Amino acid sequence: MTTNYSREMMCAPRQQLEWGFGGRRKVRDGALLIALFLGGIGAGQFVVSTWLLDYKLSAVIGLLFVAVGKSVAHLIYLGRPARFLRLFLRPKTSWISRGLIAMIVLVVFGAAYLAPDFGFGWLPWSADSDLGSAILAVAMVAAFVVMVYDGFVLASCKSISSWHTMLLPVMFFTYAIAGGVAMTALTSMLDTGFVLDIDNLVSLDTMLLGAMMALVVFYVLNLATSDVTAKESLRTLVMRRTAIIFVGLAILAGLLVPIALAIFHQLDIEEALANVLLGASALLELCGDLSVRHSILKAGLHAPVF
Amino acid sequence: MVIDLKRCTGCFACVMACKVEHQTPPRVFWAKVLRSERGKYPVVTRQPIPVLCMHCKEPECEKVCPTGATKKREDGIVIVDNKICVGCRYCVVACPYGARYFVPKWTDYFTGKDQPSSKYAEYARKKWLAENDKGVVTKCTFCVERVEKGRKPACVDACPAEARTFGDLDDPNSEVSQLIKRRKGFRLQEEQGTEPAVYYLPSR
Repeated sequence: MTTNYSREMMCAPRQQLEWGFGGRRKVRDGALLIALFLGGIGAGQFVVSTWLLDYKLSAVIGLLFVAVGKSVAHLIYLGRPARFLRLFLRPKTSWISRGLIAMIVLVVFGAAYLAPDFGFGWLPWSADSDLGSAILAVAMVAAFVVMVYDGFVLASCKSISSWHTMLLPVMFFTYAIAGGVAMTALTSMLDTGFVLDIDNLVSLDTMLLGAMMALVVFYVLNLATSDVTAKESLRTLVMRRTAIIFVGLAILAGLLVPIALAIFHQLDIEEALANVLLGASALLELCGDLSVRHSILKAGLHAPVF
Repeated sequence: MVIDLKRCTGCFACVMACKVEHQTPPRVFWAKVLRSERGKYPVVTRQPIPVLCMHCKEPECEKVCPTGATKKREDGIVIVDNKICVGCRYCVVACPYGARYFVPKWTDYFTGKDQPSSKYAEYARKKWLAENDKGVVTKCTFCVERVEKGRKPACVDACPAEARTFGDLDDPNSEVSQLIKRRKGFRLQEEQGTEPAVYYLPSR
């Protein structure tokens, strides 16, 4: 069997091993994948909960995913975590700096927006006031950047054909919003025993599932019609070990089954069953979100240098 | 730097010279020789391709670095400041030449552990940690400490076939500039727009 080391010494497409599971530090390098996943669904949950449902508890959980989950995962991943503050220094040229600054803005402004509803009523604004709306608008813009920046981080790597496409920021954004819908549904099920505003959530979820399916198809077509390295990435996605995760978990479990459940939901079914179906669909979508990000990282191949 | 592919025999002397000069740990190759095979039997050619950091004029690694640890010196040499690097590895992924290595910790060549197994390994560990540290990204420095003393990089000095020539690309009369002009030197992955400072002379 050809090892990664001997492949590195050949003039052939070279797999990136630094981001995602399987790098030099095996499991610890996977923390980056978890950070991207938690950042996406956390920002998505904050947006969906505040914009669609005005469901403050869910918005707080979304913020916690970003503030605690994403941050801790990033710190675990870094080679020198004690120097993390330096990551914010180059927003002019580096997407990592831009994304992390947006993350801080989201956490600060998101917390400021929600604070009056959680025991800080003495603050000079409320969620309904003009100042509250302005704070929310800043938090929303920051949440948008948090959802797309990881796509831009990958897309900025010119020598990795399967990443160097503007489809990635769009895909990551769509998956983040869908993850937000899934997390909001699960939070309300655990909190109240049923899904709040289930019809609206299901409609949005169905739309997002359609969009995600279309984006995955475009992405695969883009790989199939690009250069040799991109075609090799596609082979990695659909024919090698990653295929189990990409085809099995990301497409079958994460997209096709939830689409089938969404269609079934359109039939006149009991509310209890509808709740269970949406819960199951939400779990599968989250699994699909994580799998698609993992597959994209794994399929990142550098073009041969010669 | 100019590398003459016609002269390179793929002897790995440059790789070893770099290892000895910088005491790089296992699986870290600032200078490496890639194997390239072209054609179909019976017309097949095998060409060794020596690769190192290209010290690009427009380095992608410098652009994406969120901390400013990767810097371009006035003489064109791209370096990593190990006191600033956080080990995020954006540069490793963005480098089209695979020239950068993240080293989470120093390891011994023979035992694979982080404790040295001999006096020489102890020296290697000390030198590596003093010059590069752990948990950061490392790369070829064009042997900056030698160049500053007017010497050539270790890989250039060690090449028995004299396939490597080191000099000033900005000087049109320098040996490197003349070689590039005369032998139609080319650069790897020019389409990336990084403008590498390492040129290759064709093998035929």
